[in-house]
Amino acid sequence: MRPEHPLADVERSLAVPPRRRLDVLEEVDADAEALQAELERRGYGPAQARRAALRRVVPGTETLAQLEAQHAPPLGRWARGTGWIDRAERLGIFVATGLAGAVACITILGTGALGSAAVLAWPQVIVVALLAANWSRAAKRLWIDGDLRPELRRRLWERQIGLIVLAVALGALGAAREVWGAFGALEAEAFAPPAMWDAVGRIVSFAALGLSAAIFGLFGWLALTPRLIDDETMEHRISAFFASRLPTTPSRRR
Amino acid sequence: MQATLSKRINELLVLAVLEQGPAHGYQIALSVEERTGGAFSFQHGTLYPILHRLETNGHVRGTWGGEGRRRKTYELTDDGRAELAAGAAQLERQFRVLLELFGGTHAA
Repeated sequence: MRPEHPLADVERSLAVPPRRRLDVLEEVDADAEALQAELERRGYGPAQARRAALRRVVPGTETLAQLEAQHAPPLGRWARGTGWIDRAERLGIFVATGLAGAVACITILGTGALGSAAVLAWPQVIVVALLAANWSRAAKRLWIDGDLRPELRRRLWERQIGLIVLAVALGALGAAREVWGAFGALEAEAFAPPAMWDAVGRIVSFAALGLSAAIFGLFGWLALTPRLIDDETMEHRISAFFASRLPTTPSRRR
Repeated sequence: MQATLSKRINELLVLAVLEQGPAHGYQIALSVEERTGGAFSFQHGTLYPILHRLETNGHVRGTWGGEGRRRKTYELTDDGRAELAAGAAQLERQFRVLLELFGGTHAA
């Protein structure tokens, strides 16, 4: 098994934006190598020099915490400084709940969701709340913690897509159900013009709610995309950094 | 208090080394160790938060260079030079007070 690079653990532990993480890794790695060479010139054996160099430059737990505090995004530094960091999650939940509440009011007014349409209208409200919560989690990771790793990023994106599809499906299903109900009433010839306009209103409301939720989910994620692309580029560079630096063992150096 | 004083001393040590000329991180670490006879040394990467803080405060300037491989070099800024002079004078006053106090205790 190939030995792990001495900075691999630092890369895993250091919760800062990838751009900053790469800077730290490159700086420390270049210093470790130069220091090792310098110590060898001073008579250390290669293995001894390597150990001494790594001991001096590879950040320990306390140093990592200091670097994280220094290189957190500006919003994260402000949140840490004011103590809002602990409240960020709660704020996200509050925003998601508030949004869901607003959608609930629109739903009740638009679809008459307190009646028979409740079975499809209320799940839509829950989907909007989940979309907002999912987005808040990703946004907090990016702009407060500064560190959204690929695995979590992929999971959040998959969840977002799943919720968008669900919102559209519920909207379509609600609209179809209303259409079906309207046709039933037409066949029974119990469909006065005001009732018809009510039915059209409910059909449009269901469809619009599904579509709005989908647009909200998509555009919300789109707002994160420039930062996500930048992070991904930096993560590729971090991978390339590790790939290009096989651990320098004494036997290989000799 | 102890942590603050130690942080301050470490910052001034780095600035003092950089007063001699630009240097890489490892050179600063080695130089501090040598010039203080091993009384001060940076282990486990403790040098980096100090350098990055000094850089954020504008006391040192970090420049990426190197061919093929990026290396960071630090140099003292004018602000850093002023900070070193002010910090050294302040430390001197503080230590003089402390030494007088200890001297008085011994005499008593």
